[in-house]
Amino acid sequence: MSELVLEVRNLSLAYGATLAVKSISFEAFEDEILAIVGPNGAGKSTLLEAVAGLHMAREGSIAFKGRSLTGTSVFRRRLMGIVLVPQDENIFPGMTVRENLEMGAFRTRRGNVKQKLQYVFDLFPRLKERERQMANTLSGGERRMLAIGMGVTGEAQLYLIDEPSVGLAPRIVTKVLESLKTLQRDTARPIVVAEQNTKVLHVAQRLLGMEAGERRFFKSVGSLSQERLKELYLGLCEREREA
Amino acid sequence: MEILVRGLVNGVIMAGILGIPVMGIAVIYGMTGIINFAIGSIGVFSAYITWYFMDRNVLLAILLGLSCGFGLGYLIQVLLLTPVFERRKGDLNLFFLITNSLGLIFVGLTRVIFPRPTIRLDLPRLGSLTLLGVSLTGMRLFAVLFVVGCLLLLWLVETRTRVGKSWRATSQNLRLAKVVGINTGQAFAVASGIGCMLGSLGAILWGSLYNLTLTTGFQLTFTGYIIAVVGGIGNIIGGMVAALIMGMVISFGGYGFAGAWQSVVLYGIAMVVLVLAPKGILGSERSV
Ligand SMILES: Nc1ncnc2c1ncn2[C@@H]1O[C@H](COP(=O)(O)OP(=O)(O)OP(=O)(O)O)[C@@H](O)[C@H]1O
Ligand SMILES: [Mg+2]
Repeated sequence: MSELVLEVRNLSLAYGATLAVKSISFEAFEDEILAIVGPNGAGKSTLLEAVAGLHMAREGSIAFKGRSLTGTSVFRRRLMGIVLVPQDENIFPGMTVRENLEMGAFRTRRGNVKQKLQYVFDLFPRLKERERQMANTLSGGERRMLAIGMGVTGEAQLYLIDEPSVGLAPRIVTKVLESLKTLQRDTARPIVVAEQNTKVLHVAQRLLGMEAGERRFFKSVGSLSQERLKELYLGLCEREREA
Repeated sequence: MEILVRGLVNGVIMAGILGIPVMGIAVIYGMTGIINFAIGSIGVFSAYITWYFMDRNVLLAILLGLSCGFGLGYLIQVLLLTPVFERRKGDLNLFFLITNSLGLIFVGLTRVIFPRPTIRLDLPRLGSLTLLGVSLTGMRLFAVLFVVGCLLLLWLVETRTRVGKSWRATSQNLRLAKVVGINTGQAFAVASGIGCMLGSLGAILWGSLYNLTLTTGFQLTFTGYIIAVVGGIGNIIGGMVAALIMGMVISFGGYGFAGAWQSVVLYGIAMVVLVLAPKGILGSERSV
């Protein structure tokens, strides 16, 4: 029986008067990759950011390893091991690639930093080549790799990764999503990933479908045929990016 | 020729003295995005403390004044400015009012605690030496060396140490800095502490060259602020370049026009620069 790590109950989040997330419930277990899927504006990013502490709940609660996170700051949540890779503004523009990765590893035990950096460089050799380059001069795809790399250098109890595949070439998309699987296996930590690419069906164990802030389905990938899953998924995303 | 050398040397010295509060403003703004208009008054308050204990031991009195500046800056940030910032990010008017009120509070406190309207700090001259035919007291030379030393130290800390890098990260992307687990509240507090400590040093040096009155603080803040804006606020090197220019203007102006015209020329130049380059000489990532 694997351990329950994250438990979200009837969570509602709002920007001013508009609700972006409406009474969402889900949980994540230690040994899984959970994909949050849904069209633009569904509320995926808002939900992940709320787990990391960037938004206050309008209603409902978030519990991490049995402890309520209400009132816990972003900083404290990071110390507890909740690592977020944001969708936007996810690098430090005026620092080099290496410095960015070091900042990603800011709370990693000193002795493990080297090994973590090596792990990232093995995952994205491109970053190794550009170690001394300023982050604001990277291409869009390289930036995305760096942002993911910064998350991977952290010692996490829970990874929250927002749209890792955006802007990456198809071959790299497959590689990045596969690398999530490796990361999950190597660290035995749950990964909650927001994703629009259907390739995520090959790596996730469960899917949380969202639309307009509401939960549409919450299903185990193994329980359904790939065709049925794709149907569900495409029902949400009218416009699919790539086959 | 001799006038030129004398003017240059004096200009550099003046720049060093002006540069200290400028650096204080730039350090705080660069990190927090807040312009603290109270640093001059906090500086004068600390300088009064230095003055009070000066008979006992000059060095200790100075250290006490500087620690007081740091402590006040740190506490103000933690107890007041950061909590307000969390709710009202980037509300420049609000912070203008808050920090100016703070400045007035410290002017009042200075008046209540030290009922002396004007003081002069007799710092040891630290000997004197003759440089390129110009005779200087050690204290003036110290001001210049201190500014250069501070710049060098800041650069080393920010590029070589883990903590320094986390400060740069905080100033570049506050949200992400929190997300990766940097204690941004502490980084803000340290920046505010260092800024107010520099304000205190500026006031102490000012008090050793001229007089300190209750309102000198606002004069220091305002001059520092204008120079910082001319250089590109938050851009420390830009601030130092602007301080150098202003130092030269003051120094050479002394031959060309009488003291009364000094502020007209100085602030006239500031206005012209800001009209031509609203982001200051070297520019700034954030703009005022
Ligand atoms: N800062 C904000 N202020 C006001 N509304 C916002 C803000 N951020 C997001 N929203 C709104 O909240 C809703 C959910 O946005 P969110 O970014 O969570 O969607 P998403 O599912 O991540 O979309 P995408 O796939 O495009 O990233 C959207 O309707 C969006 O317009
Ligand atoms: Mg999003």
